[in-house]
Amino acid sequence: MSNLTFNPVMQSPLHHFNLKTKQQHVDGSKGVWANEMPLLGYISLRGNAQNALFTKAAKKALGFALPILPCSLISTSWGCIYLLSPDEWLLVCDRELRTELQQKLEAALVGIHSQVIDNSGGFTTVFVQGKNASDVLHHCTVYDLNALTIGKVVGTTFGKTSVFLHQHNNGYKVIFRRSFADYIWRYLERSALPYDFGIANLGSS
Amino acid sequence: MFVINCPHCNEPREEEEFHYEGEAFIARPAEPETQTDAEWGDYLFMKKNPKGWHWEMWGHSAGCRKLFVVKRNTANHAIDGAWTLTEARAAYDAEMAKI
Ligand SMILES: [Zn+2]
Repeated sequence: MSNLTFNPVMQSPLHHFNLKTKQQHVDGSKGVWANEMPLLGYISLRGNAQNALFTKAAKKALGFALPILPCSLISTSWGCIYLLSPDEWLLVCDRELRTELQQKLEAALVGIHSQVIDNSGGFTTVFVQGKNASDVLHHCTVYDLNALTIGKVVGTTFGKTSVFLHQHNNGYKVIFRRSFADYIWRYLERSALPYDFGIANLGSS
Repeated sequence: MFVINCPHCNEPREEEEFHYEGEAFIARPAEPETQTDAEWGDYLFMKKNPKGWHWEMWGHSAGCRKLFVVKRNTANHAIDGAWTLTEARAAYDAEMAKI
């Protein structure tokens, strides 16, 4: 038969748009700039926020207390913690950090009713910025972006699918499932057309 | 189109973010195998379907993905309130006791 060996390669779900080759230095020439922040680490953490054992153990493992107010997020030294639901958090970090983070959590939460899942293959993030960034997002979602204050993350609609949205560096981070990446990117590009759209060089941000 | 206050996200959101999940507080028979077909059929299909105030469940499918309870007027879409299942239970029981 074949002598081909199975040699999987890690690719972002927006790989086929070749965003890296199209990216430009961000300036005032476009109304909207966007690019993917590819291949981050995503860990899903579930547990009872009212259980002090759980919150203490998570704090010990993460170095930061879990946000517990509805729709809140905190930035940490290693990434970000989002409260997605009263008993569910999403931890986003550099991909290289995710195994260590997961192991720390699992070790700290032994015997405590909880769940830690590496969901890094399941999500990606797009950063949208520029003077018309909020105009474009208003075409895509039913959420009133004026209510999206700093420190807040909301799950809402994006076209016919759903995303998590929050403010970041004078722009917005859009976090969504890998399976909808193609749809969401095209929707965003199409919505941005009237404002002039550029693929941003995000550098290391 | 209307706006529902999700008790878990603690803010008003567009109806589009939610899914209707049916009448609230329908008790599932504890021992389904002892039910007659008629009783089981009633449990599955016989809903109150009132014109007026209705206790129903909604799911915040695009947001926190939790279920909660809304008291909505089916005639004019007025909403009396939205609560978590636990919070709504007492109010629901009190109202049913009056009928
Ligand atoms: Zn909600």
